[in-house]
Amino acid sequence: MVIDVQITSLFTAVALIIIGIFAAAFLDNLIKKIIGLAFIGDGVNLFLIAMGYKPGGIVYIYLPGMAAEWFSQNAAYPLPFAMVLTSIVIGASTMAVMLGIIIVLYKKRGSLSAKEILGE
Amino acid sequence: MNLYDLIVKKIKDIQGEGDDAAITNMSTSSMLTAEITLISSILVALVMLRMVNNVLMFVAVLVVLMAALIAMPLMPHFKKEQNDSLASMMFYVILALAIVITLFYWGNLNV
Amino acid sequence: MNLLIPLMVIVPILCALFLNLLHKKDRTIKTIAIILALLLPALPLLANYGLHYFGGYAPLIENPTLSNNLPSLITGTALNTFHPAITYSFQSAQKIFVFILGLVGLLAIFTSLYETRRPSGVYGYMMFMGIAAVTAILLTDDIFNLYVFFEIAALATVGIVLVSNVKGNYETALKYMILGGIAAPLFLLGIALILGVTGNVNISDIIYSLQNGLVDPKNPVLLMACGLIVFGWLYGSGLPPFHTIKSAIYSKALPSGAALIQTFSVFIFIALGIIILRIFSYLPFSQWVILGASLLAMILGITMAIVQTDIKRMIGFLAVGELGYIGIGLGLGTAFGITAGLFQAVNEVIITAFLFIGFGTVLYQTRVSDTRKLGGMLQRNPLVAFLVLIAGFAMAGVPPLNAFQSKLMLIQASITAGFPELGVIMILLSIVTFMTFMKAFHAVFLRPKPVDLELKNEDIPKATIITLLVFLVVCIIIGLFPQVVTSYLQPLATSLAGGIV
Repeated sequence: MVIDVQITSLFTAVALIIIGIFAAAFLDNLIKKIIGLAFIGDGVNLFLIAMGYKPGGIVYIYLPGMAAEWFSQNAAYPLPFAMVLTSIVIGASTMAVMLGIIIVLYKKRGSLSAKEILGE
Repeated sequence: MNLYDLIVKKIKDIQGEGDDAAITNMSTSSMLTAEITLISSILVALVMLRMVNNVLMFVAVLVVLMAALIAMPLMPHFKKEQNDSLASMMFYVILALAIVITLFYWGNLNV
Repeated sequence: MNLLIPLMVIVPILCALFLNLLHKKDRTIKTIAIILALLLPALPLLANYGLHYFGGYAPLIENPTLSNNLPSLITGTALNTFHPAITYSFQSAQKIFVFILGLVGLLAIFTSLYETRRPSGVYGYMMFMGIAAVTAILLTDDIFNLYVFFEIAALATVGIVLVSNVKGNYETALKYMILGGIAAPLFLLGIALILGVTGNVNISDIIYSLQNGLVDPKNPVLLMACGLIVFGWLYGSGLPPFHTIKSAIYSKALPSGAALIQTFSVFIFIALGIIILRIFSYLPFSQWVILGASLLAMILGITMAIVQTDIKRMIGFLAVGELGYIGIGLGLGTAFGITAGLFQAVNEVIITAFLFIGFGTVLYQTRVSDTRKLGGMLQRNPLVAFLVLIAGFAMAGVPPLNAFQSKLMLIQASITAGFPELGVIMILLSIVTFMTFMKAFHAVFLRPKPVDLELKNEDIPKATIITLLVFLVVCIIIGLFPQVVTSYLQPLATSLAGGIV
């Protein structure tokens, strides 16, 4: 049975997003919520890069000696790769800010429970 | 409290309970104004249903009017719902996500 | 290629980095921040209209030297017209929006330098970064670029709240980031779905593909993408279900910061709203969703505002409620309605900033924001009380101030579009807004001072009074001559209503 890489990636991405939303909404520990948010970001990045998949495609670097027409027919789509790099950086920075805030809150309140700190 | 307990608690106390704190005149007038504003704006917005079907509009307005009059102190419920806890905000966010996705995905059938 | 267009984004970013380096050098920060902030409203006035292609990569159709060497597989199809570079588009509507953003930014930065004990380079960094991000969101024609700056604006908002030192700000900031951590990746997922179907992230190219039959417009994947982008729009602008966290964010920031954050929310609202209208206006359902979300925002925001006892929370909910008026204008779909909605956005930004900074003087002097404990501020500052009263009249729509013109246009637009019920609701909620404001004004300024209220600081800084006077002058000018603003907005509104790009 031939496994289609793109469809598998898309299903994995959707599974990651659903697990992430579940973790961010239902788990009580703040660090686990943040890990859930990281899952959502990873799922979306996987979805995005899977959009650029081309079966049997080559890497999109135009080397001298390649025919332009053959290259444009066979290269994988380069745009999602640039988008995913930017998105990973954004995810890392938001994660860093969130973890910084959690450190300060832990020092002030002494607990990592969302019910105590963020509830009313 | 976590999200599951919150949902259970919400379903249990839709009936509402009495509010015991003493309140001032200013906050009484605010609550009354908010109540009247809420009910009247919802009723006027429902009149817009006349574009779908006139009978539906009459029925909807009457039903909502009766329901509002029976469950009259609506504002305390609304105020308590829109509190600052992460769990209730998360509940409404996920509810809104589900509604938006469902409406758009099946909206193309009637568009 | 007009080089001032990218400078409108690059200059605030450089200002931000520079101010951050200068943190703790008070005099230098004050002078440099004011000089650099003066550039913010000046640049859009000097720039010419046009498109800017980053890297200089114009579409192939405009670049014959390059396209002659390419196979007809590329040049013979629609690929010839597609934009390979990130495109910024600066037309008349963007000019007025970036100018108003720069003006409010200038005044907010000016106020913040004098109201805090020491000017803070980090606070200035956050404010300039936020202004840069929202300018980019207004100018960009590339939806992924918009997502990047959307996230930067969210981070800047959180930064403004974190440096404010108000009780409970860390918790509110963390809640905002957690909710954003769900909404923003889902927005990116919507962009990914559009990329998957159309192969493009440039908005003009997406619209071209949809209108010329290159992709099927009724594709369910595109509808799902529309839903996810609408969800991201709800988060960025503070519409329900995100209205409570947005108003909490306004209440936990310093008044100048809150004035700036609400500006960000309103401009993100209109930028994303315009994009949703441009791409998805062939779905009548998208307009109903914009109308429904706005109506809900108006009703929930204003009813929650009446029952608040904290002034900042009350103005926060009023700000969320006023967003609904803008959305109704955009959702009506007629050229007059869209012009009215965009005009209301410009007025709303100015008036809410005026109110935040005005009531912020009370906080500056008493450190108390609970209306039950305040009173007697009229004797202390009669001039500020008068200015805040005018701001409240402006918000409620009293002539000859600016919101009167835009609300009148909105009500006329809703009646001519065939929705008189919306006009009735708008009038009703304006009356209630006025009542809410008068209640707060009476509690803070008019009634006698409670015995246990201490006035901590002495005089309100001259900078704040100057800021309030500038806002007053702008409100009166726009109120007397609305065509000063609407003439800039009409071309965009006409093209949106006509369904053309």
